[in-house]
Amino acid sequence: MTKPLLRVQDLHVEFATHGGTVHAVRGVSFDVKAGETLAIVGESGCGKSVTVQSLMGLIPMPPGQITKGSAELMGHDILSSKFIDGQDIRGSKVSMIFQDPMTSLNPTMNIGSQIAETLEVHRGYSRRKAFNRAIELLELTKIPEAEKRAKQYPFEFSGGMLQRAMIAMAIACEPTMLIADEPTTALDVTIQAQILDLLKDLQQETDMAIVLITHDLGVVARMADEVLVMYAGQVVEKGPVDDIFYRSAHPYTLGLRGAMPSNDPQNNQQLTAIDGSPPDLFSPPKGCGYHPRCPNAMVLCNQRAPVIESLSEQHWSRCWLHHADSEQRPQGLYFRPSAAQPNRTPEQKGTSQ
Amino acid sequence: MLRYTIKRLVLGVLTVWFIATATFFGMHAVPGDPLSSDKSTTAQIRANLEAKYGLDKPLLTQYAIYLKNISQGDFGISFTQENRQVNDIIKEHFPISAILGILAIVFAALGGILWGALTALYRNRWPDSVIMFLVILGISVPSFVIAAISQLFLVNINALAGTTILPVGGWGTVWHMIVPAMVLGLSTMAYLTRLMRSSMLEIVNTDYVRTAQSKGLPKTRIFSRHQLRNAILPVVTVLGPAIAGITTGGFVVEIVFAIPGLGRYFVEAIQQLDYTVIMGTTVFYGAFLVFMVILVDLLYGWIDPRVRISP
Repeated sequence: MTKPLLRVQDLHVEFATHGGTVHAVRGVSFDVKAGETLAIVGESGCGKSVTVQSLMGLIPMPPGQITKGSAELMGHDILSSKFIDGQDIRGSKVSMIFQDPMTSLNPTMNIGSQIAETLEVHRGYSRRKAFNRAIELLELTKIPEAEKRAKQYPFEFSGGMLQRAMIAMAIACEPTMLIADEPTTALDVTIQAQILDLLKDLQQETDMAIVLITHDLGVVARMADEVLVMYAGQVVEKGPVDDIFYRSAHPYTLGLRGAMPSNDPQNNQQLTAIDGSPPDLFSPPKGCGYHPRCPNAMVLCNQRAPVIESLSEQHWSRCWLHHADSEQRPQGLYFRPSAAQPNRTPEQKGTSQ
Repeated sequence: MLRYTIKRLVLGVLTVWFIATATFFGMHAVPGDPLSSDKSTTAQIRANLEAKYGLDKPLLTQYAIYLKNISQGDFGISFTQENRQVNDIIKEHFPISAILGILAIVFAALGGILWGALTALYRNRWPDSVIMFLVILGISVPSFVIAAISQLFLVNINALAGTTILPVGGWGTVWHMIVPAMVLGLSTMAYLTRLMRSSMLEIVNTDYVRTAQSKGLPKTRIFSRHQLRNAILPVVTVLGPAIAGITTGGFVVEIVFAIPGLGRYFVEAIQQLDYTVIMGTTVFYGAFLVFMVILVDLLYGWIDPRVRISP
């Protein structure tokens, strides 16, 4: 196996607030390989944005603090103080695009200059050379009349165009990794598809890795090679995209899938919401964070935090149901084939409350 | 942009006309007239004088004549200062007021932006607390008090040094200008500091500053190119009214520092009901302020592209 481009291990991020300490990220580990797309999914507040922002050094410190963990990008510890403030990594080797392109660009600076700026700083280009390159980048991201457009300001662009400009800005220094934090959430569906296609094309051309943050499983299915499902600051399931969709092993993943609309008109499927709300991360639960909402919760779930149970070489789930001693086999969930025991009962009445 | 400028200029002329009209009728509504303060005037002399100055004509006719004159740039002759053209008074004394005012506004704007940005960067730490305390003093203490205190301070400093480091009053050299300009600009600077601080604090948390950080730009560049320019916008908006405030504040400061500016004439003319001087100085100041406000708005358009394009 090739060495991963980015290796994040046991990342913990906390925020000190007046009300106490928020444990936003509680031990997240993952690898990103060159040329691949890793999707991080989960609902609002599950820590997915904080995870990537801490990698980019965008967490305001204080109140934020990375209390534990490491992140290595091509052998550099990017969480060390040398890199976290430094300009060597951010914007050149790793760059980022954001959720709302309308507010993510400086309103009083023209688009071309905002793109050129990155090149001036990281590549030492002259103003003029950088601006010309910015025009090329706008062309690359398929903005018509790039030369004219480069001199315009953000308020003269549409949302989709702004996101293209953001992408142009992000790829200016040919980063090895692009972090996209909900890049299409603020855009309408047709534009979404165009932006995702653009990202895919660019990835194929440049072999960059993409870390995609989203809560839209449709986007995941379209883009991802590998998926992390996050809940309450932890990764609850991780695996290749097919495993996540077709062999969902964590009740939360299954819940998310149930809440996803289908575009098949024949399918009169009822969307099922996940009842309740995520736990308070001021005082994270002792057991599994999902257990108050989990239809399959057992007594144990409230008492002890589940451990990682692997289902195949690349696929694992953080759920007691997959423990060797568990006899529960709720319908719809995927279980390790070897663990399938002959004496399992199809009924789930025994599920403790 | 050109159309916008022309539109603003036309509106500006209308504003000045309105000022002139309001002042004209307001002034004539005040009991008495410039001649009534003269000691022993017989009815004959008074009638002659009224005829000479055109005060015997109906008010509307006087108004028409006056408008015709000022449209030709002629403000007439002072009633109380014999044979002195109002134009000459303005020409002689306005530059002094203007220099003082410009220095004060530059001092206020630069100081306000600098201190405001600084307090925002050091939010809730001691530089912030100290400056914000001074700001409240600057806003609440009237300028004539600060003028007097600064004079006292200067007297003591000069006495200590044995020579005149900075003159306490009067006019003539650059050294005469420094302290009055600072005193005059102080309250505006304090106000702009507050404004700049809140504006900066807002900008620091915007998405585009986060984008700038994610681009790996040096802090100084983020500050100068992404934060400052956007944070300045509200400050520029209030510069127009601030110029008005400084101009009128100048009257007091000029008197305290014995500066031969236009402000003294303005005040004295009103006390003596010197019709032509009242009208001349008011219309001139009005026109000046209107022009400055237009200039500030054009400057705003230059800084903020969104204003530039829209009509």
